[in-house]
Amino acid sequence: MPNIKLQSSDGETFEVDVEIAKCSVTIKTMLEDLGMDDEEEEVVPLPNVNSAILRKVIHWATYHKDDPPPPEDDENKEKRTDDISSWDADFLKVDQGTLFELILAANYLDIKGLLDVTCKTVANMIKGKAPEEIRKTFNIKNDFTASEEEQVRKENEWCEEK
Amino acid sequence: MPFISKDWRSPGEAWVKTGEGWEKKKVLENCKSITFCKRENSEEADEKENRVANVDSSSTQPHCHITIKCTKEIAGFNELDEAVKRLDFRSAARDVRRSNYVRALLSLLVGRNTTALSGCAQRALLATLEEVAGHAADTIHDPRSLRRLVDGLRSLRAAERGACWGGPLGSQILWHQHTAKIERILNTVAQMKINEPGPEIHPKLLQLPEECIREIILRLSDHRDLLSSAQACEQMAAIVGEQRVWRELTMFHFDQQQIDLVMPKDKENVDWKSVYHSLKK
Repeated sequence: MPNIKLQSSDGETFEVDVEIAKCSVTIKTMLEDLGMDDEEEEVVPLPNVNSAILRKVIHWATYHKDDPPPPEDDENKEKRTDDISSWDADFLKVDQGTLFELILAANYLDIKGLLDVTCKTVANMIKGKAPEEIRKTFNIKNDFTASEEEQVRKENEWCEEK
Repeated sequence: MPFISKDWRSPGEAWVKTGEGWEKKKVLENCKSITFCKRENSEEADEKENRVANVDSSSTQPHCHITIKCTKEIAGFNELDEAVKRLDFRSAARDVRRSNYVRALLSLLVGRNTTALSGCAQRALLATLEEVAGHAADTIHDPRSLRRLVDGLRSLRAAERGACWGGPLGSQILWHQHTAKIERILNTVAQMKINEPGPEIHPKLLQLPEECIREIILRLSDHRDLLSSAQACEQMAAIVGEQRVWRELTMFHFDQQQIDLVMPKDKENVDWKSVYHSLKK
């Protein structure tokens, strides 16, 4: 089976099956555009992904390599956040920094499935929380002035009617 | 191989140990089928006897058949507590795919009316609730639904105290256990604390590019979550204010017919937030 070499930002090289690497649309188009030969010993540099994260991404992609491709339409996608498989749930039991780095990597490498499941995980962290709790969870500074806050609260009053 | 179930003659493959005792593996395998689809959450407490699961087209869902007309032969395992046990609700509380269902069911069942259920069912429900609370304390998942459960629990406690001339109805010992359990659950919830990520954790949510934050926000399916995030900070407020977010939320919750009803004539500038709002009413 043909392999491809991926190089992380900190210089570590990973050798992976081309089919696995191709679940990243970025790498897939790159290979197609450049018309890379399978025989060639080319190293693909990924300057935005460090080795720890790349290792995790490859781990994820290897596990999901036989998955059916995700549906195309962006508009009416599922908003359910609880259909995370238990393998993914275990895989994403990481600290917040790693989780966000995985989102960045999935976004950069254009891996839809990984982006989906990581974003769902973060959405689950937001779910059911009050504004103050959200700020605390993500260490967000409240950058509203008192009057702005009052205004936002007023705008959103309709949802509390019921 | 211990025989604890009355239906030990029915076919089963192996016995496995669970938190509750011994169960047939067959039952547990059902629970773990890969495409678990949540059943409709609309069941009311009185309708609980009708909990015959909808059969999903792709695979059979784990379900527990409850015969409505109870007969002597099945009386021993035709109750809610049996369903809770068989469907393994306690471990479901920790499973992200099933926990929402379990919480929805609990919030329907736990409250003043819980006293009308059998003692076994009450015990099973409280045990599940304790598991949910313990899990929530670990992960801080969905505090809003947890608060609702806690409110239900408080009213259950109040109802029980005044059930029968100021004293609990039914077994005293059972109720002492229940009170202790309720206290424990309330304590767990009271001690729930959000652990702020330390400064060494990098990157933070707001350091993600805007399109990533948008991806996250687009996955919120509850308008209350959207509004809370809007109130958290300016950047999130800007994204939540986008039409696309509300359009997708409306599309997700309502079908085209409903949307057409409230759609303003002027199709050019539609305020999807107000469309959603009027549909919700």
